[in-house]
Amino acid sequence: MAAEPAVIIKDLHYRYRGQKEYALQGINLEVARGEFLMIMGPSEAGKSTLAATINGLIPHFHKGKLQGEVLVLGRDTKQYTVAQMAELVGMVFQDFEAQLFSTNVELEVAFGPENFGVEREEIKRRIDENLAYVGLEAVRRRPPSTLSGGQKQKLAIASVLALHPTVLVMDEPTTDLDPISKLGVFQITDQLCEREDLTLMVIEHDTEEALHADRIALIKDGKLVSVGTMREILEQVDLLEELGIMPLGIPKFFKMSGARELPLTIEEGLQSFQRLGLRISQEKFDRIVAEENQRIASHTQPLIQCINLEHTYPNGVKALDGVSLQINQGEMVAIIGQNGSGKTTLVKHFNGLLMPTGGEILVNGIPTRQQGVFKLGQKVGYVFQNPDHQIFSETIFDEVAFNPRLRKLPEEEIKQRVHEALEAVGLAGCEQDDPFTMTKSGRQRVAVASVLAAQPEVLILDEPTTGLDYAEQRSMMEMVKRLNEQGSTIIFVTHHMWVVAEYAQRVFVFKDGKLILQGSTRQVFSHGDELREAFLRPPQFVEFTSRLGKTILTPQELINCLDATEQGKHGI
Amino acid sequence: MESEVYLDRNTFMHRLDARTKIIIFLLIFVAVLLFDDPLWMLPVTFLVIVQLLNSGALINMRRIRYVLIVLTISSLLLWNLFSQGSTPLFWFIEVESLKFSIARTLLILLMISDGMILISTTRNEELVLGLIRLGLPYRVGFAISTSLRLVPTIVASLQTISQAQRSRGLDLDSGNLLERIRKFVPLLIPVFISTIRSTNIFGMALESKGFGAREDRTFYLELKMRPADYAVLTFAILFVIASLLAYAFGYGRLSGFTRF
Repeated sequence: MAAEPAVIIKDLHYRYRGQKEYALQGINLEVARGEFLMIMGPSEAGKSTLAATINGLIPHFHKGKLQGEVLVLGRDTKQYTVAQMAELVGMVFQDFEAQLFSTNVELEVAFGPENFGVEREEIKRRIDENLAYVGLEAVRRRPPSTLSGGQKQKLAIASVLALHPTVLVMDEPTTDLDPISKLGVFQITDQLCEREDLTLMVIEHDTEEALHADRIALIKDGKLVSVGTMREILEQVDLLEELGIMPLGIPKFFKMSGARELPLTIEEGLQSFQRLGLRISQEKFDRIVAEENQRIASHTQPLIQCINLEHTYPNGVKALDGVSLQINQGEMVAIIGQNGSGKTTLVKHFNGLLMPTGGEILVNGIPTRQQGVFKLGQKVGYVFQNPDHQIFSETIFDEVAFNPRLRKLPEEEIKQRVHEALEAVGLAGCEQDDPFTMTKSGRQRVAVASVLAAQPEVLILDEPTTGLDYAEQRSMMEMVKRLNEQGSTIIFVTHHMWVVAEYAQRVFVFKDGKLILQGSTRQVFSHGDELREAFLRPPQFVEFTSRLGKTILTPQELINCLDATEQGKHGI
Repeated sequence: MESEVYLDRNTFMHRLDARTKIIIFLLIFVAVLLFDDPLWMLPVTFLVIVQLLNSGALINMRRIRYVLIVLTISSLLLWNLFSQGSTPLFWFIEVESLKFSIARTLLILLMISDGMILISTTRNEELVLGLIRLGLPYRVGFAISTSLRLVPTIVASLQTISQAQRSRGLDLDSGNLLERIRKFVPLLIPVFISTIRSTNIFGMALESKGFGAREDRTFYLELKMRPADYAVLTFAILFVIASLLAYAFGYGRLSGFTRF
């Protein structure tokens, strides 16, 4: 006999107060006890709204119009306060800074049980149990603010588990994390989904993580597009792409090559590749590599040169240690490494925000020390990670015109520059819109445009794709690529390995303030061991092709490399 | 970036019960307010310095040293300008007004030190618990501690935002006063917006962990008054009584002196 589902959602409609559109439009969903359900969809699809209905944040915290029902273990969320629901439903948010509020790790875990009047001895037991579970015993006396992003998110999970919830809802728990921290959180998720007593509902953009889910629900425009087992959903490559969700590279490749059965994992992919009798043509592969090397060699004018660059912060932390590198005019390069590896410290030297404490850095052959941030800013544009850290104007026009106005350019030229910058980011015609009402990706574009208006030769982007969905990430990077083709030199820092695989010409890998690996993207991704040493991992598809013997970066590239004589044999 | 004010140490001051520290804080506050003559402020100054040295809170005072220097200079200057003594010293300064300005400056510095000692040696949670044990409702205590907690967060985001705007060509160090004030708009609006965003999530996280679910809340931390607490409290109370008596008998005032 099937047990009663943990969560029942019946014909759920919800509209935020002051909005015309319904954010949720008739969701029907049941989640079984012990199940791991992954919720995926593009930005603004209503995923977070749905998550907030499970523990009653909707309709109690966010006021609005709710129709339909959400039942958690038979409790109707309308009848209970959020605090009362907290015993049943744990909630982990994307922003790991804002959801922690205690001054030490133990007290953070104690906070939930304290609210429910749990005995002190029992609280102590739960602190021990849950810190051990997420592997944070060693830092139990530290203030949460001194932990890394990944540790903070693990602490958030532990603090919620301490309430012994039946349902755990996680709203993009890994979006802001670097690859190694992501992996740590995923490992905990995997551990959690083994537990029969815990139902997991996770919103996630990372399709590789979806491989661990039991079922996947796809959401768009507040409606449930499709729900099915992990395999049923991930095989629908076209549907995923259409919804703005990144399909896995392996099924995408086999779909493109015309196979009927689509493998998902590397092992399955290797078997199918063999069974279909596919072969990689050495000649075609060599041609691709040769073209690539030629393109890299065509950029010869040095733009940024670091010679034994060192930076030690006032508190004694050595963030950069003997870095020597050169970036040439017209290149598009990626800088990767885990948080704290020195990436951001390095790029802040490029526009003079930081000055070296040892060694030398030259921009256009002149030491940055002799130029200063104000002068360098005209040549080197820097887009910070969070657009909300720079947007302040009431209209997009004013925001983008900020720099040209500071430089006291004539009004005509300002208009011209703003127009060109907005054109470049695809926001032409939005001059009078309010930047604060735009989506994250829209605000990100405004931030890029406002830097472009200074007409820099070099554009530095710090994690331009974080917090965007796959379709937005792609269009952001396509835009950046166009700028590169028009002559701008592009330097981007990122945690998204697929972005590196598809868009970077050269890659620099950092670990503990040292440059440990550099080369063409293909060369770098062929050094799997060194990457793992820097706590990075090539995308699943690149690992797959490496197992085939050649480092091939994208499904399209692999199609282009296939031995033509073997084509047409498959379809079994 | 270090933005925490609480210092995780194990000094005599740290080991005192939060209630003791809150009461000492209030008592010293009263003692500091009494006298106009800097000589009469020496005893309380001595007590505050002892606490500063013992607790290690000097480090935090160093972090705000520029603010302290500005306050000291402007307070010394203003109190001399806006008061009149009877014994001329030089220029616009008289002996009495100089004494008074020193006393007022000491008052400001001691009050800041007094507060800094409290939050450098007391965890947020202990402070809340102390306030509650002294009779404040839980929600009020929690609100006070949350606002204290917000300060380092805002400082940290202000740093990032100022870097972002400087990269866009904002030059904070040039222009006249009005221009400079206007240049803070690109800093303050993003700080404001990002603070609102994070407090919103903070509120959600708070409720999601059962904040206010029941009246009978457990406190995992335990407060315990030890002999040292009673000794320190007794001393502090006697000290303030002595100061009040001295004040009542008219000591520590300046004669031949008018404030505008």
